[in-house]
Amino acid sequence: MDEKEKILNILRHVIDPEIGINIVDLGLVYDIDISEKEITVTMTLTTPGCPMHGSMPEWVHNMISLYAPDKKVNVNLVWEPKWSPEKMSDAAKEQLGM
Amino acid sequence: MNQTGNIASAYSPPFKIVAKYFIAGIIAFILLNLLLLFNYEDIGGHHFQPKILSITHIATLGWITMIIFGAMFQLVPVILEVKLFSSKLAEIQFWIFAAGIIGLVYKFWHFNSALSFTAPAILINLAMYIFIFNIIATMKSVRTWNLTGTYLAAALFYLFVTAVAGLLLAANLDHPYIRINHLQYLNLHAHVAFIGWVSMVVMGVTYKLIPMFTLSHNFKLTLAKIAFVLINIGLLGISTIMHYSETTIFYYIFVPLIAVGIILFLFQVLEIFKKRIRKKFDVGIKFSSFAYIILGITTLLGTVIAFIDYQSIINLTLIYGYIIIFGYLSMLIVGQMYKIVPFLVWYHKYSSKVGFENVPMLKDMFNEKIALIEFYFMMTGLILATISFSFQINQLLLVSFFLMLISSVIFATNMIKIFWS
Repeated sequence: MDEKEKILNILRHVIDPEIGINIVDLGLVYDIDISEKEITVTMTLTTPGCPMHGSMPEWVHNMISLYAPDKKVNVNLVWEPKWSPEKMSDAAKEQLGM
Repeated sequence: MNQTGNIASAYSPPFKIVAKYFIAGIIAFILLNLLLLFNYEDIGGHHFQPKILSITHIATLGWITMIIFGAMFQLVPVILEVKLFSSKLAEIQFWIFAAGIIGLVYKFWHFNSALSFTAPAILINLAMYIFIFNIIATMKSVRTWNLTGTYLAAALFYLFVTAVAGLLLAANLDHPYIRINHLQYLNLHAHVAFIGWVSMVVMGVTYKLIPMFTLSHNFKLTLAKIAFVLINIGLLGISTIMHYSETTIFYYIFVPLIAVGIILFLFQVLEIFKKRIRKKFDVGIKFSSFAYIILGITTLLGTVIAFIDYQSIINLTLIYGYIIIFGYLSMLIVGQMYKIVPFLVWYHKYSSKVGFENVPMLKDMFNEKIALIEFYFMMTGLILATISFSFQINQLLLVSFFLMLISSVIFATNMIKIFWS
């Protein structure tokens, strides 16, 4: 399993407490960039002004820092491209009854 | 980690302030139902009676407005991405407001006692001015404005109008001076309160929260914008025309404008629901959607009342008021509280633990089964009360109020469970 896949698996433990689906299956994680010294995650939220605004990037940051304590972890919260339901995994869509 | 990381915690006001408003609101909800149950024989006839006025103000100030204040302290910063201007003012406001409500409710109940109406009304006005100042000061630093902000700003204006009208009515009860008609001003006070203050908040917040809870995307807010214009023209009209003895224009222009505005709002809600991704309705959304249906019914009823001699139809205004308070607003508040309170408590207690230990999901924080029982009890209570008022069946009214009391106790039990989870 490559590094990126491992981090994605870790992020599958970050679950939106309201929806009950993890952020990877929700399609909120746009990109993971890994270099020798840094890990940068680019992610979004389902809607701007979401009460999770500050928390989710913080959870992502904390969990990756636990996994790779010697690397600097950056979390970029972006609103472009906008999140849309199509970005969800099939499992997530099924869980929501789509 | 970049700057975005801690924004939410910086935006949110201290949890204990919001909790204080919510707890006071829930206590008022139970008290209100207890008083209805133990005085069911006195609830009927014309609405201008001491006990009915007293209970109405426990409902509108102690329950509905108390919850809205708490919710707005929490939601305005989150929705408009700005920090609350002053938590200290929110705290001071709470005690002034609570003292004012207790005074006013006591005085209405003991209508002929030596106390004045004006004194508690001044306290309530003061609390509301502090609130309005605090939220406007908060809104001043907003960088990206949105439609919800516009609705909330309008709501603040009508809260001011409602408060001033209430104060003038209170002064008039102490020393009559109003030249036209006390009940006409009461009409202004009540409608500006329900449509201008409460419903403007409800609508503005709906556009933000319902899409969030149902994961609704790709809808346009065109109807919401038209609704805003129509309702505001109507409300400004009411606030003006009610100062004159000739009010025909109120019925033929302003009432239909407001009614169409509310119906457009409901169509907007329907569009949001149609575009939702979460198909299943949880208990919070069940309560809320039922409340929207009731709002539609009360709007039609209110329009009809405007064109008929309602005083001659027994209990019609009472039915109208009861459905608004218990059907539309209480159902909506209960539904939204089942969504908001678990999140707030969860955020407060578990947010920092994500990734380090197992944290509960929001729906696991209260008993959804008994919440559903509460839903059916409230619905049944509402229908029974309408029948009892219409046909003056006192025993049925007793059953209805009992069901409503049980509902409020279930609600409080679930809220306590959430706070302690």
